[in-house]
Amino acid sequence: MSAHVRELLALAGARALDPSETERVEEHLPECAACAVEAGEWRRLAEGLGRLQAPKPSRALVARTVEAVEAQLAERAERAWNRAALGFLVAFAWTLAVVAWVVLDLVTGVLALRLDRPVGLTAAWYAAYVIAGWLTAGAAAVLLGRRSHEEGRIA
Amino acid sequence: MDPDGDDAARLRRGDTAGLTGLMGRHQDRLFRYLLRLVGDEAVAEDTFQQTWVRVAERIGRYDASRPFAPWLFTVARNLALDHLRRRRPESLDEVDEPAAPAGVEGDPLVHAVARERAGRVATALLALAPLDREVLSLRFEEELALPELAQTLGVPVPTAKARLYRALARLRERMLAAAPAEDWR
Repeated sequence: MSAHVRELLALAGARALDPSETERVEEHLPECAACAVEAGEWRRLAEGLGRLQAPKPSRALVARTVEAVEAQLAERAERAWNRAALGFLVAFAWTLAVVAWVVLDLVTGVLALRLDRPVGLTAAWYAAYVIAGWLTAGAAAVLLGRRSHEEGRIA
Repeated sequence: MDPDGDDAARLRRGDTAGLTGLMGRHQDRLFRYLLRLVGDEAVAEDTFQQTWVRVAERIGRYDASRPFAPWLFTVARNLALDHLRRRRPESLDEVDEPAAPAGVEGDPLVHAVARERAGRVATALLALAPLDREVLSLRFEEELALPELAQTLGVPVPTAKARLYRALARLRERMLAAAPAEDWR
């Protein structure tokens, strides 16, 4: 019995040899009765493994799984929508701030002309107004986010 | 594109029809694989559900140019091994006491019938270590070729081959201890 070929018999039964190894085994088996017997044992073992029975997942399990995945997909869609909505609102708010600055500048300019005297530091007042607005919005977003996180944990 | 690729693309867009298609084609083999790996039906059920949730969550990372099954099995494998490591952190390469089949405890007659049906190979397989059961299941039940098997295990092909050989040798040893090779049919 060749030790080198014998080591290959288990994998031959599993059909996991490369072509050159398979050729070596096939050439050897007709010449060696002991290896031929052992090759038969490995083949029977492989056949037994191929015939194993295993239960399938129950319908209830499949239904539960689909339900869990659907919930996960819904959550993912909601997160994506929230991100898109937040992006739109931020862009909208900045556009509004810039447009409002131009309008305010025009109005105060016209007013100053009519009254024939300066109305005040328009740019400074407007910058303060915008900063206060963004700080308030930021604080509100943090509070809402915390509340949403708490609700998610409770649910 | 293959059906798995189509369904993966649907699932990526959030369409549950994609999930239905993928589950329809892979649920039986996935459950069988998990059952062999964890050796416990309740744990296999939990891991099965977690696997599909994880698949839906990470479908964006799946490379559609490659076969879906090895990727799916890798996701399942990681979850199952996490569970096994929590249960017995020492080693997954050592023999564990096999879990009793669900619903047969306490009734000797039912137990005897179940054992009879399970057959010698299944009994010997249950007595192997999780990683040995896994490699045998992937090769013989899921019929993965060595390159796919290696990809699923996350090891090079020669290592996968060595693991397969070692698992077969251990199974044969257990089978021979129970009955002579002539009786294996």
